[in-house]
Amino acid sequence: MQQIGARGVNPGLKQLVIEASRALARLDADRLEELAQSCRALSRELAGDGDRDKRLLSVSISEAESEMAVFERVLQVTRANVSVMKRLRELREGKLEYREEQSVGWLEGDRRHGDN
Amino acid sequence: MDGWRGTVAMGTISSAFNVISGALDADQSALNVVANNVANANTTGYTEEVPNWQQNQPIVINGVSYGAGVTETGATSVRDRVLTERLDQQQQLASASGSRLQALNTLQALFTPDTGSTTATAGDIGSDITGFFSSFSSLEANPTDNALRQDVLSTAGTLAGDVSNAAASLNAQRSALDQEATGVTSQVNALTGSIAQLNLQIQSASPNADAGTLEDQRQQDIGQLSKLIGINQVTTENNGLSITTTSGQMLVSEGSSVQLSTGMVGGVSDFFAGSTNITSQLATGGGSLGGYLTARDQDIPNALTSLDQLAYGVSTQVNTLNSSGTSLSGTAGNIFSAPVQQAGSASTMSVVMTDPDQIAAAGSGQGTGDNSNAISMAALANRSIVNGQTPSNYYSNFITTLGSTVSQVQTENTAQTASVTQLQTQNDALSGVNLNNEASSMTLLERSYQAASQVFTMINTIMNSVLNLGTQTTVS
Repeated sequence: MQQIGARGVNPGLKQLVIEASRALARLDADRLEELAQSCRALSRELAGDGDRDKRLLSVSISEAESEMAVFERVLQVTRANVSVMKRLRELREGKLEYREEQSVGWLEGDRRHGDN
Repeated sequence: MDGWRGTVAMGTISSAFNVISGALDADQSALNVVANNVANANTTGYTEEVPNWQQNQPIVINGVSYGAGVTETGATSVRDRVLTERLDQQQQLASASGSRLQALNTLQALFTPDTGSTTATAGDIGSDITGFFSSFSSLEANPTDNALRQDVLSTAGTLAGDVSNAAASLNAQRSALDQEATGVTSQVNALTGSIAQLNLQIQSASPNADAGTLEDQRQQDIGQLSKLIGINQVTTENNGLSITTTSGQMLVSEGSSVQLSTGMVGGVSDFFAGSTNITSQLATGGGSLGGYLTARDQDIPNALTSLDQLAYGVSTQVNTLNSSGTSLSGTAGNIFSAPVQQAGSASTMSVVMTDPDQIAAAGSGQGTGDNSNAISMAALANRSIVNGQTPSNYYSNFITTLGSTVSQVQTENTAQTASVTQLQTQNDALSGVNLNNEASSMTLLERSYQAASQVFTMINTIMNSVLNLGTQTTVS
């Protein structure tokens, strides 16, 4: 995993954001969760004795700004895709329910035939 | 499945065997479907099929109705039009931004400064502008010096040459894009023709159920078509499908297709469906054709207009000032060719003055040793003579705007390509032949989205936290 937030080490925020975009494109949930953990660690470190680290990060942040814009767009299209897939699942579930109703009808029909 | 509701008044013992053998046949058919899936596991575009079961007509024996088992009535492909249409739509956007980006990168490369090279290129226009007006500043100090006068004409020639060469390159790129765009037409026609044929086959062979491989083929054709142009899909009766452009122009109506044709209008190819000009529809619709046309009809003309404004502003103002002054030879004419109108000024920009003595460094009515007109011409560098801006600022803003456009299209293309990849993963899980199931695929999508949202939120928070520390000076 990339060393971010370590003192004296370039945080490489840009690379982290690029990797997050790529991981999201290929739905690499494991890698994204690792990256989220890294960000949590960085955030904790900055929350403590972080002023010096923040100054080190400032250059890296300016480099990462355009990559953040890309990441944001990838996130937006992913959200749209999640919505489509959820809607699709609802439709399919609705279809299943409809089929179950039909099957009840068949059973009733069978009984009716049988009762004859 | 209306058949099951009726009854068949027959009562032979063979009916009972029919119930049993029907069930066995159904099992065998299901096995065949599974075998077909395995055999086609590596076939591109193949959609997994699941068997359909249809309840047989009940058999009535002595007034008593017996269930008649089930018959396998064919296979239904596990495809979902909601997902495939979303995938096709995203593919159209990704292809459009991809082909536009390719053209924009070529365009941007034309204006990229060629550091270290002595060859004059369009990328040097910024420094050409500075060099040209600086030559007048140098002339101020010694207005009768022939070498300094030669330098004015030399820098003017470099500027005019680079501007006109840039315009020529842009026109050449526009022609190349025009050829790319017209080349797409035959591919579109082949695909719409194929889809129309498949519509007929599907409607004939399977009007009420999934048509299996025929629908796979049709979906593959639609996927290919989506890479080329923006389309809408409309399902019709009997498993038919109509396809229009995103603006509603019919391309496929069930069994017939409308062939696209091209014709030259204003120096470039326009696109027609029948007699209807649909060029602008195709440009905004998507697909690689949409990208080519957007670059051809929007990005390159915008760049040409910018160059025209620059050439027109500089040529007109410099010529006007020079004509108003006093030259060494007594004749003070134009330095640059006089543009008749703004449009086309870049292509025709050239230096018409051959005698450096004709440069009017002295003001009107002044002696030849006067430098007031040279001062005025040098000062043009800082006057708003090009669309309300100084020449250097105008050119700089043009380059910045171009870079910003490239960046935006790059971002869109990255996002749309990512979207296509994600949807393809979902589609493979749903309709492809593999062991993944829909639920796990959906879970992966949601997990990825949630984790990515956390990463984004935390980085955003970190960025804001650092910027609030007062280090904004390091951030543009």
